[in-house]
Amino acid sequence: MSAYIIPILFIALFCYAKHKKVNTYDTFVKGAKKAVPLVIDIFPYIATIMVAVALLRVSGITTLLANTLSPVFNLLGIPTELVELVLLRPFTGSGSYALLNDVLLEYGADSYISRCACVILGCSETIFYVTTVYISQTKVKKLLYAIPVALICAVFGSCIACLLCKIM
Amino acid sequence: MNTIWFIMIVGSICFLLWSDPSLVLSSMIDAAGEAFTLCIELCAVYAVWLGILEIVEVSGLGQKLAKALHPLIKKLFKIDDPETEKMIALNMSANMLGLGNAATPMGIKAMKRLDDGSGVATPAMIMLIVLNATSIQLLPSTVIGLRASAGSTSPSDIIFPTIIATFCTCALGISLVKLCQKLFKKRGAKK
Repeated sequence: MSAYIIPILFIALFCYAKHKKVNTYDTFVKGAKKAVPLVIDIFPYIATIMVAVALLRVSGITTLLANTLSPVFNLLGIPTELVELVLLRPFTGSGSYALLNDVLLEYGADSYISRCACVILGCSETIFYVTTVYISQTKVKKLLYAIPVALICAVFGSCIACLLCKIM
Repeated sequence: MNTIWFIMIVGSICFLLWSDPSLVLSSMIDAAGEAFTLCIELCAVYAVWLGILEIVEVSGLGQKLAKALHPLIKKLFKIDDPETEKMIALNMSANMLGLGNAATPMGIKAMKRLDDGSGVATPAMIMLIVLNATSIQLLPSTVIGLRASAGSTSPSDIIFPTIIATFCTCALGISLVKLCQKLFKKRGAKK
């Protein structure tokens, strides 16, 4: 069902554009042209954040943090097995999907742990990555409360996820 | 960001000095390589979506979408610039469809327009970051795919809890940003 949403939207868009007498080919080219400079602009920011995340993971700090913090997360209803996932999620998208895959294979796709992990990933975003990329083209140096608020939301989302999986 | 990055890098390197110093440089270069591969993938995604976006804009659909979302955007961002509103409207729509990568170029454009050059994030910018960081996702397609390949009997039964959780985080994010805005205003007034 969901596979039809994008194609149908595209057909609607192209027909609408035709109706409005837009040259779809020329316009698409014009837009696509902007992709390369944009990627070149954001590459250094992505590389910088990924270097830091790689070091964190290789050094074993994330595992250590996960072990120390797991009592706190347990209090919030998040099982110990998922603490590393919750900690890593704000930093890396590909890394947390790899971790989710490990969880799925280790505990079985339909177990409580796995379902929690899926909902946690589904309701959160890679906060640090999003923030770096979004402010990369602005002059902003001070983000004030943006990151704390986003992180609180992520932890809250993980709690809700674990709770919902228990009752549903 | 500078402080966070500094702590992450220095902390990890100190740790690695203990365990395995040879890993430091190699893992950094590996990560930069990964970033490069990711950027090539992103380039493909952006090319398609920026092409589509251009059509959306030129055909006038962008304005229509912005008009439809105008009351909501006005309430959340308190801005008065139709062009920025259009970008935010497109960014939010793409996010809801679960197209985080397609939302990024529009988000960057909106951020550029919201920037006042003072070096401090404006309330509207923070709202946009938090909205994207807690993004409402109606279709967690990657997760469902992974579940299916891991042999789940009903891979899509997480959709409903995900939607509830995503709405909760988004609502919390919006209210916290609004609350912090008020707190910061008060502090600014005292000064």
